[in-house]
Amino acid sequence: MNHLVWRLHRNQAYLAVAALAALTVILVITGITMADDYRNALANCAATQSCGDLGGILFRGDGAIMDLVDFTLFVPLLFGLFWGAPLLAKEFEDGTHNLAWTQGVSRWRWMRANIGWSLLAAAVWGAALAALVSWWRYPENALSSRFNAFDVQGIVPVAYALFAVALGIAVGSVIRRVLPSLAVTLAIFVAIRVAIGVYLRPHYMAPVTKVFPLLGNDTGPSGSWVLSQGLVSPTGKSLGPGIAFSQFPAACQAAPPPGGGKSFLGQCLASHGFRQTITYQPANRFWAFQGLEAAIFVVLAAALVGFAIWWVLGRDA
Amino acid sequence: MTGPSIETSGLGKQYGQLWALQDCSLQVPPGRVTALLGPNGAGKTTLLRLLVGLASPSAGSARVLGRAPDSSEEFLADIGYLAQDVPLYRRLSADDHIGLGAHLNKRWDAEGARDRLSRLHVPMDRPVATLSGGQRAQVALGLVLAKRPRLLLLDEPVAALDPLARREFLSALSEAVTDGGVSVILSSHLVHDLERVCDHVILMSASRVQLCADIDDVLASHRMLLGPRRPVDAVEPGLTVISATQTQRQTRLLVRTAGPVLDPSWEQDEVGLEDVILAYMGNEGAGIGAERTHRHLEVAP
Repeated sequence: MNHLVWRLHRNQAYLAVAALAALTVILVITGITMADDYRNALANCAATQSCGDLGGILFRGDGAIMDLVDFTLFVPLLFGLFWGAPLLAKEFEDGTHNLAWTQGVSRWRWMRANIGWSLLAAAVWGAALAALVSWWRYPENALSSRFNAFDVQGIVPVAYALFAVALGIAVGSVIRRVLPSLAVTLAIFVAIRVAIGVYLRPHYMAPVTKVFPLLGNDTGPSGSWVLSQGLVSPTGKSLGPGIAFSQFPAACQAAPPPGGGKSFLGQCLASHGFRQTITYQPANRFWAFQGLEAAIFVVLAAALVGFAIWWVLGRDA
Repeated sequence: MTGPSIETSGLGKQYGQLWALQDCSLQVPPGRVTALLGPNGAGKTTLLRLLVGLASPSAGSARVLGRAPDSSEEFLADIGYLAQDVPLYRRLSADDHIGLGAHLNKRWDAEGARDRLSRLHVPMDRPVATLSGGQRAQVALGLVLAKRPRLLLLDEPVAALDPLARREFLSALSEAVTDGGVSVILSSHLVHDLERVCDHVILMSASRVQLCADIDDVLASHRMLLGPRRPVDAVEPGLTVISATQTQRQTRLLVRTAGPVLDPSWEQDEVGLEDVILAYMGNEGAGIGAERTHRHLEVAP
């Protein structure tokens, strides 16, 4: 059975190895350079007290590579489209399930081997990619927030890859044709990833809210995931981010003296007792969030695999 | 083995509102080469899929080689199934397929399969997508034979082949069958070819089995009668009219009978298998039956 899986899918495996190898070469070379630059800059900035600005000066020339790393976001989807969806749909479309399922191997064993190897491949490639990107982003993570690239590092890419492949298999088992299966897998994958990433993820744990003075260098805890920012009125009422100018005290609405536009308004509001507020997920929750999100997608993947097996074994071929 | 190789009772399969196979009860003794005949859409493929366990019945039951068909490895080891349109992995070669079969089956005659295919000059190392239809069918036949099954079920294996390839396929099949003492059931809408290789016939039309018998018995129990024009039902007791053709002067009947036909006003004639089959195919509307049949049933030249 394992021989069959390998013989039918080895070209995909070769392609995936080649793509991963190419990406590894690019990221290892640029990653080493970036880490060196970062270490040198860190050593130099201490002398000139300018370490706060490092994020603005480092890595500006690496836009294409940055984009490439961001695009690894879509790799799990590719697994779902090219490994998951055709796994059953192609057999049904070509009629070869009639050949495969009348050899001396039960349908259950056939399913187990095919699904097992697909999921294993997805997990291995997902893990390799995630490890590579996590390592590559080390300086960037140190300078900004790891939450900024939550989806491409840590352990969630493995869970996304498992989910994508499981989704593709389940969709293919029902639709039984390759192209429609690709389209439906694509649509469902994007919808669920966006729904969970945008609507569910901010609420995995209750966010922390902090109120602090309007002026000064305090910009909130470093490395955190900022969910919202805004002003707090003197009475302690949160005004939200989009406060209307007319809600300001009359004194502050006056035309600023020449040359002091922005700081005039800030100082005026501060003197009337306005403060700013920030709602965020602290940086140290990164791994808890990764764990929760990975768990959600692994559970979804397991449910989809269970569904696909039940659907195929319980029905006519 | 002593029991029937195939036995069904009240077997039926429903797809949505439509019955693809209805009330199918039949018995095929072991060792027979059975032709499963009928027009397209008669339910032949459905019957075969039920018999190999790829589909499960909506009504009734089937026993194949003494057990209910399912996807267990014990059952699958004993059957060789060649689906319609000869499914193969397009990018794999004949050799690859034989290699796969060796991994998927406990009993596998790779040498025999290679010998057979190389004798037929089938290229072994080219993707099967580049082979001719006849060569692909030979590869597929080679694969089912390599399983050394006790029962072969072939769904329209010659439908897409030209006459020469058809002949080669059927003689390869006959040869394999005489070697191994295996039972075969072979569906087709072509009558001519099968008459040479088969000794048993199952006739289907409109989702039902019309006839299931040894071909010799079929030929012995049917007569063609030609005589002066008369009402079709005015025949002696003991005859069953299968089809009738009326002209202004003459009545021509195909009848089933257990004994000799006694009425001397009939001119009697032997029947060929094809006559019988065409008669059964069209027996819902006597008279125009022959024409109807020709539309549905391609008769090989």
